[in-house]
Amino acid sequence: MSGKKGFGTTLKEWIFTTDHKRVGILYLIGSFAAFAVAGVIALIIRMELSTPGADITDPNTYNVMLYFHGAAMILGFQIPALTGFLANYLLPLQIGAKDVAFPRLNALSLWLFWMGIVLALLTFVIPNPPDIMWTGYPPYSIVSPGNTAFYTFTVLIMGFASIAGGVNLLTTIIYMRAPGMRWFKLNMFVWCTAAAFIIQLVFVPVLGSAVTMLSFDKYLGTHFFDPSAGGDVLLYQNLFWFYSHPAVYVILLPMLGIMFDVIATFARNRIFNYKVAVLGGVGGIVLMSGEVWVHHLYTSGMPDWIRIGMMVSTILISIPVGICVISMVGTLYRGAIQYKTPMLYAVGFIFLFLIGGLTGIPHAVAALDLHLQDTHFVVAHFHYVMAVSGTFAVIGGTYYLFPKMSGKMCNEGLGKIGFALTFIGSNLTFFTMFLVGLDGMPRRYFDYSHMPELASLHQIITYGAFILGLGVLVTFINWIHALIWGKKAVDNPWGSKSLEWTTTSPPGPGNWAEVPDCTNFDPYAYGED
Amino acid sequence: MSNSAVEHHEPEWEVSPWPLIISVGILFLLPFSFALYFVYDQPMLSVISLGIGTPLIVVSIIGWVKGSYADIAHHGKEPGYGLGAMPFFILAEAFIFIAFFGAYWVLRLTAPEWPPAGTPHMASTTPILMTIVLVASSFTIHFGEMALAKDDKKGLLFWLIITIVLGSIFFGLSAVEWKHLIHSGFSFDTNLFSTFFFSITGFHGSHVLVGLSAFLCVLFPLLAGRVSHTFVKSVSVYWHFVDIIWFFVVSQIYFW
Repeated sequence: MSGKKGFGTTLKEWIFTTDHKRVGILYLIGSFAAFAVAGVIALIIRMELSTPGADITDPNTYNVMLYFHGAAMILGFQIPALTGFLANYLLPLQIGAKDVAFPRLNALSLWLFWMGIVLALLTFVIPNPPDIMWTGYPPYSIVSPGNTAFYTFTVLIMGFASIAGGVNLLTTIIYMRAPGMRWFKLNMFVWCTAAAFIIQLVFVPVLGSAVTMLSFDKYLGTHFFDPSAGGDVLLYQNLFWFYSHPAVYVILLPMLGIMFDVIATFARNRIFNYKVAVLGGVGGIVLMSGEVWVHHLYTSGMPDWIRIGMMVSTILISIPVGICVISMVGTLYRGAIQYKTPMLYAVGFIFLFLIGGLTGIPHAVAALDLHLQDTHFVVAHFHYVMAVSGTFAVIGGTYYLFPKMSGKMCNEGLGKIGFALTFIGSNLTFFTMFLVGLDGMPRRYFDYSHMPELASLHQIITYGAFILGLGVLVTFINWIHALIWGKKAVDNPWGSKSLEWTTTSPPGPGNWAEVPDCTNFDPYAYGED
Repeated sequence: MSNSAVEHHEPEWEVSPWPLIISVGILFLLPFSFALYFVYDQPMLSVISLGIGTPLIVVSIIGWVKGSYADIAHHGKEPGYGLGAMPFFILAEAFIFIAFFGAYWVLRLTAPEWPPAGTPHMASTTPILMTIVLVASSFTIHFGEMALAKDDKKGLLFWLIITIVLGSIFFGLSAVEWKHLIHSGFSFDTNLFSTFFFSITGFHGSHVLVGLSAFLCVLFPLLAGRVSHTFVKSVSVYWHFVDIIWFFVVSQIYFW
């Protein structure tokens, strides 16, 4: 597209880029590729489950597909899309930096993430693919003929990319803010991603250690998780969830952050209770994120006093999360709301996140969770609270940033159709899953011939999944359409007060001609002119 | 995407091929060679994969370091964010060891008998010697740093070489000890203590190796007369961290 440059130069400038915006866009492409493949796999899983009995796959393939769907969606889509794409693209622009602190390290994170995607995709071509879910619980992951090594290395490579990205962007936030950009002038997105990166730095290495021990046990014959030699299987579950529960907050916080900014922009309003949301909400989530993981293990065997302690801390963490949601809804109050496509996704996000959050409470209560554990109710809960909420945040955020990234406007009509389809599809799929789960449908089952009465509900779920898939397809078509035929975007199409909209669309190398002066800047100064 | 509208900016997009090349190298060096050897039983292919990965990584590191020093020479001064990033990096590194030590403490404190059957008597001379060598190397790199603060590049070179020698001696002692233990029948899979002994000393050893490689990335440019204050300080902080972790290793694994 660039007039004077040849294709080779353009290609070189993209794949060897160290610019944070291009790194962000390459993260976007990679994570949506993972999302698309894992989404198609989810549809195959749903087709298999739409009737009792074996239909289109066999049990082993089904396990491999469950592994790929989980690993690719969480490690390949959610975390890279939120902490990779959104944080890389938006964060330096919002703090007025020319780039991140270590541009080359940033590119290394990006390409390691892509190598992780390659490893995950190899699942479909290698003999003995991993079939151990994305959790990789021993003893099955140690005795299974599947390739546990690829699971370990996917986690390690993506984990290293996350850690390098976290170190990089935290340093950027601390040292590279524009002059006059004081801490309490930062966008909510900056606060939220900074918090997410702190959580990542503390917890990702623990997951790395856990999966390393797993491969050591399987391939070098060590005894970390081998009860016959004094090891402990539950040790893995504890180490794994010690990371993987905070990982939910790594996903949640950037999601809240981008939705805060979208809501403030389209409601033309200040963030309600900004300081309370930052210190109490975001800060509270960081402080409490590491004290709740045992609620994943209520049925794994533990003393009652730990169950009760973890039940209390799990219910307590809904307070900081609640503070954030109250701030979001409060920002809407008496705002001049415009329902553009990104805003629709933000409102949809609040709705889905509320359902997800409220159905989390029965899981926090140990007595109820003993019944719900490992049923489709859990599947529905975490798909509401992180899967579809996260997807809505990423799609909404992409719509929001699309004019800035590409210099083109998306079609509002197609955007709204896409939103309606995804919203209806999500609720049809996952709300029905709650009902199936309450009726006792176990998760991860390939066949439910022993409970044929659930077949009609399962069919509804499958229809819902296809509606959701259609919505995502419409969204992708809209973006590609806009890239090629979209109208040219002005620098600030949404009328936002945030710093990223003061530069050109798309921004060139270095973001601004000169570093912006932020002495009199306020990202949420609506209603003052 | 067009950037014709942004002529008033810096005209060029910054590029570096090394991040992509090093990532491909890592893909071949670690997952492919490991899986080919251990999962698919193809030692020959595994070696080939190592042979593809290693040069890619070495070349990229050299290119990357050269590029960094060229940047410093080009801009005249260093931005110096490296030192600011070290606390975050070390926080993450510390949690690798916290996970391993946590697992060790949990399993050791709940074990019916300790040490488990099959554990040989460990001579305490080697760990004491290793401690002395590593602590000394922490001091020598600090002397090097002080020399650099006075712009005494020769002093830095002197102390840096001594540090590299001490670090290599430490690594060598560790290797000899491993060889001796494995030879006497105490290996990765012997029992629970061997599991933790080899994994924790191994992880610590790998950190020593990373530190030594980083020293080499200071040494070669220094021989050509180029030096980065930030890089020297950051590597030094990392080395002190490796030293501190060693105190945990030696007190928890050898002398408990």
